[in-house]
Amino acid sequence: MPCEPYKNALVEAAATGAEPLGELRAHLAACPACRAALAQEQSLFSSIDTGLSAAVNAEIPASLLPRVRARIAEEPAVTRGWIPGWLAMAGAAAIIIAFLAAQAAWRNVAPRKPAEMATQPASPVQVPLPPVRSPESAPTSRHDSATQPQVSVVRNSVPRQTRTTRNPEPQVLVPRDQEVLLARYAEQWRSRKRLPLMAETSSDTPMAPLQIAPIQIAQLDVKLMTEEQGQ
Amino acid sequence: MQELVLIQPGSTIRSESSRDTAQADARHDFEARLVECGPLAYRVARGVLRNSADAEDVAQEALLRAYRSFHRLRDRNRFRGWLVRISFRIALDRLRSAKRRELRDLEWSQPAHQPRPANAEDIAASNEFQAHLDRALEELPEKLRLVLLLAAMEGHTIDEIAALLAIPVGTAKSRIFVARKQLAEKLRCHVNPTKTR
Repeated sequence: MPCEPYKNALVEAAATGAEPLGELRAHLAACPACRAALAQEQSLFSSIDTGLSAAVNAEIPASLLPRVRARIAEEPAVTRGWIPGWLAMAGAAAIIIAFLAAQAAWRNVAPRKPAEMATQPASPVQVPLPPVRSPESAPTSRHDSATQPQVSVVRNSVPRQTRTTRNPEPQVLVPRDQEVLLARYAEQWRSRKRLPLMAETSSDTPMAPLQIAPIQIAQLDVKLMTEEQGQ
Repeated sequence: MQELVLIQPGSTIRSESSRDTAQADARHDFEARLVECGPLAYRVARGVLRNSADAEDVAQEALLRAYRSFHRLRDRNRFRGWLVRISFRIALDRLRSAKRRELRDLEWSQPAHQPRPANAEDIAASNEFQAHLDRALEELPEKLRLVLLLAAMEGHTIDEIAALLAIPVGTAKSRIFVARKQLAEKLRCHVNPTKTR
């Protein structure tokens, strides 16, 4: 049982491992109880140090470094990017926001698409075209217009006044089977993608070889002027 | 859609070769430090976890993380201290999760909680004082614990510890003293209860 006034001094002396000096040294020389207490404290700190040292200074496993090297070899090469990660993320976010804003603004100002116009109710007007002669029918008759193919011209039912004020685009006469293609092309121009024109094969309109009808030259009917005047 | 990139062939070749050289240098540099500092990472983890297998896993993880972030380390002379902190942090996380798991297992397996099979190290560490020491060490604040573990390692002077942790020598001394004193207060009753006159 150490003396109360020296208790802390004993603990500190044991904790630092330093030799007691001055008054404490003199007291220890005279007090066997405090000497025993100091010895106990020194033993306690020695046990703590031994326990810590045993835990910390354990033998290094031989497998540690080879395992780390193997893991490192599996790792992809570490590179220092020329753009920091956060900057790249911020840039990507800014681009996405700008794109969305531009898209929203474009939707507000975009005029009507031609596809919408094409799907509106229409009143077809049948306009007979001049006869196109096939090789078989060429020599037979000149008045077989009933059997000739006809082209329907679709007149848009949108009132003329509305068209001129809201849709300044020119109107084009096209065959019906090319209506959709033209609408697509116009849409590309409208969205300013500037895509090149592409040929598209259509399964429902089979391509036929070009057939040219033979030229027919009528007999010249030459009459004298006097006969003409007489008639 | 094919992506097109505008390049200058001459400068690209030069920059790629210099980048490859820098990568090889960094890997070589890390390899040299691995041999020197690998044991340090293991010992820090072993001091926290008191288990060789777990400590090896933690040291491995710490070294791997250090390798991944090696290019970010501006002052390579601080590698040892940096690695010590990484290893200490991972070991603490591992210890906490192990404790949580142990507590959960204990709750599920009551009342028959069986101790895990002991190996030679466990037997050596199974004495009562060592168990009390482990517990007391875990209750220490992290700053005190790390400095105490480093002080217990062979070949570490106080000056080196201070340099490793980038703290003044006086702070390192003070922390070691306080840590030892707190441990002693916790363990005194288990060794020899001291009575005052």
